[in-house]
Amino acid sequence: MSQANAFPEHKDEFGTVAPIPANMSPRSPPEEGFRFGPEIGELFPDISLLNSTGTRINLHEDWQNSKAAVVFFRSAVW
Amino acid sequence: MTQLVELQNSLPKFEQAGMKLYGISYDEPAALAEFSQHHGITWPLLSDMGSKVIRRFGILNHHVARDHVPYYGIPFPGTYIIDEDGIVIEKLFNRHYAGRSSPELMIDSALGEILLGEDEPSTKVGNDDVQVSATFHGGDGTIKNSVVRQLVVRFELAEGLHIYDEPVPDGMVSTRIEVTGPSGVRTGELFKPPTHPLSLSDLGIELNVWEGQVDFALPVWIDDRISGVTREHAMSDVPLTITIKYQACDDRVCRIPQQEN
Repeated sequence: MSQANAFPEHKDEFGTVAPIPANMSPRSPPEEGFRFGPEIGELFPDISLLNSTGTRINLHEDWQNSKAAVVFFRSAVW
Repeated sequence: MTQLVELQNSLPKFEQAGMKLYGISYDEPAALAEFSQHHGITWPLLSDMGSKVIRRFGILNHHVARDHVPYYGIPFPGTYIIDEDGIVIEKLFNRHYAGRSSPELMIDSALGEILLGEDEPSTKVGNDDVQVSATFHGGDGTIKNSVVRQLVVRFELAEGLHIYDEPVPDGMVSTRIEVTGPSGVRTGELFKPPTHPLSLSDLGIELNVWEGQVDFALPVWIDDRISGVTREHAMSDVPLTITIKYQACDDRVCRIPQQEN
């Protein structure tokens, strides 16, 4: 069985293919006591990552004194 | 991806709210560049190759098996809202379903209030003393597969009036909001703002009440039964039935309980 057949494919509105639909529920909470990263009231961790042009971005330095939203998403490829 | 493109379309709203926007995935920079170019994304998408940050945060999606290449390494989708001091002030992780948050919910979370748009679909009932509106908040009136909107029910109560949260004694009506729609419309847990205590000492009753402007927000999304690959992805003609029950009272007199549909 090929990889594609092993995992049913789902296309989103842009035609990209994923093994599960974007809104498929895991049917249960992820884990008992799942923390979901830093807690409300905590300083956001000091993180530096490459952007799409390969420049390293330090989040705290970049947003300075702005409010911000940090969105963890599945993938830009599928 | 729907969420990322929708966020791009909402960038002016984020700028107006004084907010910056960042995306993080396990993709390599070149893949992020290609996606950004193809979809006109101008806000920074950041590369967490090897899912190091995702693991450090503890948000690795463990429903994906380790040998399930290339899907292993994705996070549970979610958003952190950060204030001017770099402090996390809200986390938008939808624990029981995999919906993504609307741009409007992120902005409301940062500002601490619900900003209803003038052009959002809305209906209003009531009288001089009690106005009740129901507004479909987010996405310019569209409902999309995998993105969570909110149905916002706003009470505007004249001075001196209040409405009740549970529990209430027999004979009084607490505020209830229900939304139904076609099969495939899903709703989450109703957000209720904090109440004020009200003591009726003569009767020995303690009540929890709301006064003034009161916003309730119900998460609404749709699953594949409505928005599948063969149907329109942005729908604006899904009929929703909203039932609101409440009873408005002042210090002395209670009005007849109301039900608005």
